[in-house]
Formats: sequence, structure tokens, C-alpha cells
Amino acid sequence: MAYKLERQKTDLTPYVLIDEENGYMKFEGESFHENVFEFFKEIREWLNEYLKTDFDSLTFDCELKYFNSSTVKVLLCMLLDMDGSDNCENITVNWITTKNNSIIIECGEDFEEDVENIKFNLIAN
Amino acid sequence: MFDMMEYHKNLQASRIMLVYSGPLWAEGIGGFANTLKKRLEYDNTPLETSQEVFSVFVEQMNNMLMYSAEKEQFSADELHSEAPKGTFVMGLKGSQYFIQTGNIMSNSSVDIVKNKIDHINTLDKKELRKYYKEKRLENDNPESKGAGLGFIEIARRISGKIEYTFTPYEDGYTFFTLIATIGGKE
Repeated sequence: MAYKLERQKTDLTPYVLIDEENGYMKFEGESFHENVFEFFKEIREWLNEYLKTDFDSLTFDCELKYFNSSTVKVLLCMLLDMDGSDNCENITVNWITTKNNSIIIECGEDFEEDVENIKFNLIAN
Repeated sequence: MFDMMEYHKNLQASRIMLVYSGPLWAEGIGGFANTLKKRLEYDNTPLETSQEVFSVFVEQMNNMLMYSAEKEQFSADELHSEAPKGTFVMGLKGSQYFIQTGNIMSNSSVDIVKNKIDHINTLDKKELRKYYKEKRLENDNPESKGAGLGFIEIARRISGKIEYTFTPYEDGYTFFTLIATIGGKE
């Protein structure tokens, strides 16, 4: 059965949705738990398994308003895993923020430079 | 009895907005962060400044969690039965926000922290962005709690340089203070 995960946001952790059936992943809100690696562990495990499969597409909407520097590291690891997968041309990342959020825009620009194979859209509304 | 009136007067005179001393744990920090957010909204702080303040606050908390050598037995969260202790004050000086944190650290951490900050303090904002970008890819240990980026993130968001003091504490320990100033000019 296709994997599905939905976690509601808390003071420290973002809303997370993983819908394997539709090849969709979404993070929304804020992420600054001291132990983000633990929070994202299950998500990364799923992602790494999914990336090995012959999937049709994967869309990742990342709409975080604020995150700490440890989260940056986790996000980068996930993006590089995606970028290095066999199916990388079928992956789209939408980095969604607002025009006035310069911190998130700068971080998105840096990520855009880190990836080569996946589609990375920086969307500042 | 603790002199509440003197305390009140001192805090008001120094324009302190938020004070805490005690155990630090993730959910507690989440609570302080919420209080801080509400206060910045109340003050009508411009979005960019409030994001800088918030970011510096979170990274300073994470640094204390990582380096504080003083622990308290703590039962609110069974997974983290020992919580590091620290103190912070946050306030206004002129039109700038300042966040000061203090914690006890083991002498063996002093040089590591000092060298990190001294190096970061030699870099300008553009160089800091580049250094941060490089450091994201480097890792000691991907499972380690800290990403090693905290001080760089603080330096990117503050005006001026990171200020700090190391004061000898008891045998084998040092008291570390970090001062970050954010926003418009004094």
C-alpha cells in the first residue's frame, strides 16, 4: 500500500504531508526543533526508499516561513538525495515564500545553485 | 524575600522585554519563541527585523542547549530527562534589540567556541553567506544535534559583530556570555 503521512504543525515543527500515491510531499510552517534530525528521520527514510523506485513523478512543495540552521542541513540532504537519484528528471521542488521574506528567498537561491538535475522553482508571491 | 520592586525597576530601566533562567528544552523554547513573536507583533516591529530577532534568538537557544555544561534533572519529557541550563535576557537599546545569553561551559569547549566566533567575526555579510553555504555540506556527524551553523547564522542576522565574554567559573568551567544586537542604529 502507498505510504501516507500527515503531521499537524506544532510550535516547533512544520505541517508535513506525504502522499506517495500521488507522488507528493509538502512542508509548511516553521521548523526549529533542537533535534530536527529525529523529526525528519522517518520522512527521509521514506524518501530514500521512494527515490529507488521507478516513480512517475515527485512534487515537493516547501512552504516554510522560518527554519533554524539545523533544518537547513536536513533540507539540503533531502534535495541532494533527490538530485542524485536515477529518476531525478521527474522531480519538481517548489520553494514557496513571500516577496518580503528575504531570509527564505536567499536560502532558496543557495539551494537552487546546489541542485543540477531536478526542477527547482523559487516562487516568491 | 526576593526584592520584586527593585527587580521591576531594573528591568524597566534597562528596557528588558524577556528574561529567563533555568532548564532549556525544545518545547520550553517553543513557548519562549511564541512569547517573543507576540511581543514583536505588539511593538509593530518591521517584518525583516522581527525575522532577524527570531532567528538569532532560536540559534542562541540552540547554542546554549549544545554547550551548557550545567544540567538539571527534569521530568517534563522522558526522553530528555536532563536539561541544560542557561539564562537569557532580551531588550531594547536605542532602536536596536539585544539578546544576551549566559551559560556555564566546560573549559574544553572554550577554545572551540572562541575560535569559531573569532573567525566568523572577520567575515563580512557576503563572505558569511558563502561560508554558511560551504559549511552546510560539511559534516562532522549528520546525527549530531547541531549543524555547526548557528554562530554563522547569528552573524548574518545581527548588526555589527558577535560580542562575547568568557569568565572563569568553578574548577574546569567557564561562564560564557554571548551578546547579539539586531536592527536599526542606536
